[in-house]
Amino acid sequence: MIELSGVTKYYGNFCALDGVSFSVGKGEVLGLLGPNGAGKTTAMRVLTCFIPATTGTATVAGFDVFENSLEVRRRLGYLPETPPLYPEMTVRSYLNFIADIREIPVKMKRAKVDSAVVRTALGDHIDRVIGTLSKGYRQRVGLAQALLHDPEVLILDEPTVGLDPNQIIEIRGLIQNLSADHTVILSTHILPEVSMTCKRVAIINEGRIVAVDSVENLEQKGSNSTRFKIGLKPAGIDWKKAVESVEGVRVEHESVRGEHVFFDLTLPAEAAYEKVFRAVVGKGHLFTEITPSRASLEEVFLKLTHTDEPSSSERREAA
Amino acid sequence: MKILAIMRKELQTFFYSPVAYIVFSSFLLVVGYLFWIVLVTSKVATLQPLLYNAAFILLLVSPVLTMRLISEERRSNTIELLLTSPISPVEIVIGKFLACFILYLMLIILTFQYPGILWSYAQNLDWGPIISGYIGIILLGAAFISLGLFASSVTENQVMSAMISFGGLLLFWLCGWAKTALENSLGEVLGKLSLFDRFSEFLRGIVDSGNVIFFLVFTITFLFLTTRVLESDRWR
Repeated sequence: MIELSGVTKYYGNFCALDGVSFSVGKGEVLGLLGPNGAGKTTAMRVLTCFIPATTGTATVAGFDVFENSLEVRRRLGYLPETPPLYPEMTVRSYLNFIADIREIPVKMKRAKVDSAVVRTALGDHIDRVIGTLSKGYRQRVGLAQALLHDPEVLILDEPTVGLDPNQIIEIRGLIQNLSADHTVILSTHILPEVSMTCKRVAIINEGRIVAVDSVENLEQKGSNSTRFKIGLKPAGIDWKKAVESVEGVRVEHESVRGEHVFFDLTLPAEAAYEKVFRAVVGKGHLFTEITPSRASLEEVFLKLTHTDEPSSSERREAA
Repeated sequence: MKILAIMRKELQTFFYSPVAYIVFSSFLLVVGYLFWIVLVTSKVATLQPLLYNAAFILLLVSPVLTMRLISEERRSNTIELLLTSPISPVEIVIGKFLACFILYLMLIILTFQYPGILWSYAQNLDWGPIISGYIGIILLGAAFISLGLFASSVTENQVMSAMISFGGLLLFWLCGWAKTALENSLGEVLGKLSLFDRFSEFLRGIVDSGNVIFFLVFTITFLFLTTRVLESDRWR
C-alpha cells in the first residue's frame, strides 16, 4: 500500500532523510519510532505530498507522490504535528469545510461528519468555536478531520500528544479499530504506544531507518535468551544447590512466598538450560513458572539509536 | 465546488473576526465625510472627485483585506492541510480571490447611496461618468486584490504582506508620473502600466476596451504568480 525506496531529503545541506526505504501492507499499522528530530515528520510530509524528496521514490496505493500527487492526496488522511485548525470556526463548520475540499458528495456530507464526530467523541463540542477548545479537544478535531472521508491510508504525526491518559486510551482504541480496513502510519516517541497499537515498527534515527520489524521480533532481538524468571515449588531446602549444579549459573532476586520461591536465573550459555532444568526436576523440585525475560522495546530502542560517535550529527551536516 | 468551499470559508473568517466590520465602518465614515465636504465646497452635482478619492482609499484598504489570506495559512500550518488535500493551488487562489472580491463589491455597493442622494436633488444628473467610474473602481479592485493576494503568498507575516502590497500598489498607482519626467520609451511603458492613468479614463466617462483588458491581464497575472508560489512549495 505504501512504499518508500531510497528516499533522501536535504534541507539546504542538512540531510533530514538518508535513503529511507520501507513498505506498509494493506490493513497494517506501522509505528514510526524515533527520537525528536530523527526525520519522522519529514518522512510523513514526503508521503503526503507536502514536500518533495530530493531523491528516491514514494508511492501510495500504487501512485507516485510526485507524479500522481492528486490521486495520492485523494486516498490520504493526514494529521500533521500541529493540528491544522481554523480557530475562528466552529467544529461543525470546520468539518463541513473539510468534507467539501475532500470531495464528499453533498448527500453524504452530514453522515460522514456525524460519524467522524462520534468516532472522536466530539458530540458535546460540535458547536463550540475551535479557538476556545482545550488542546486535547483540538487534537480530536484534527483527528476527525483526518478520518472524515474514510481514507485508505491514514498518516498520523504524534496523534496522542497533549491528550490526558483517558483520551490516549480512547485514541489508541480508535486507531486499532481503524486498522481493520485502513492502512495506518503513526509516528511517536512514546514507546508503550507502539507496542499497544502497532504490529510493525520502523525505528528511525538521524534520518536513517535502523530497524523495521514486528514488535515481538524486535523485543526478541534486544534480549538474550539466557535469562529467565523462575517460580519453583521446592521439594527441600537444597533447591538452590540443584539449580547451581551447572558452572556459571547465577541466581538473583530470590523471594519466598508461602511454599514457593521466585528468582531470576541467568545461564552461562543458551544451551545450558536443558542441563539445569533436568537437574532441578531430577531432585523432585517442581517448576511453577518459567518466563524467558525479554528486553522491553525501550531497551531495543536505546540499543539501536544510541551512537557512541558524537560527531555523527556534524558528519551529517557536512554531507 | 471546492472553489466555493474555500470562498465560503474565507467569507466566514472575515465576518467572524472584527476585520470586516472595522474596514467597512472606517471606509464608510471617510467616504461619507468626503462626499459631504466635496458637495458643500464645490456645490456641483458630480461624483467624480468622490470616486477618485474612494479609489485611493480602497488602495489603502485592500491590503488590509488581503494580508491574511495566505500568510495566515502559512503561519498556522493550515497550508499543510490545504496542500495535502485533493485541491489544487489554482482552486485555493481563485476561492480566496473571489471571497475578497465579494467583500470589495459589498463596500462598493454601500457607496451607491451617494449617487442616490445626488440624484434625489439633481434630476439632470449625468449618469454616464458615474457608471463608467464604478466599472473602473470594480476593475481596479480586482487588480488591488490580486496583487495583495500575491503579497500574502510570499510571507507568513501579515504585516509584511500588507506592506508589500501597499508598496506594490502605490508604485503601480504613481508610475505614470514617470511619463512626463522621462519623456522616453521607458516613461511610455511606465505610463501604460499606471493603474491611476488607466483608472482616470474611466472617471472621464470612457470605457476603453484596452483599459478593461489591462486590468483583467493585471489581475490574472498576479493570480497566476500566486498559484506558482503555492506550487513551488511542492517542488522546493
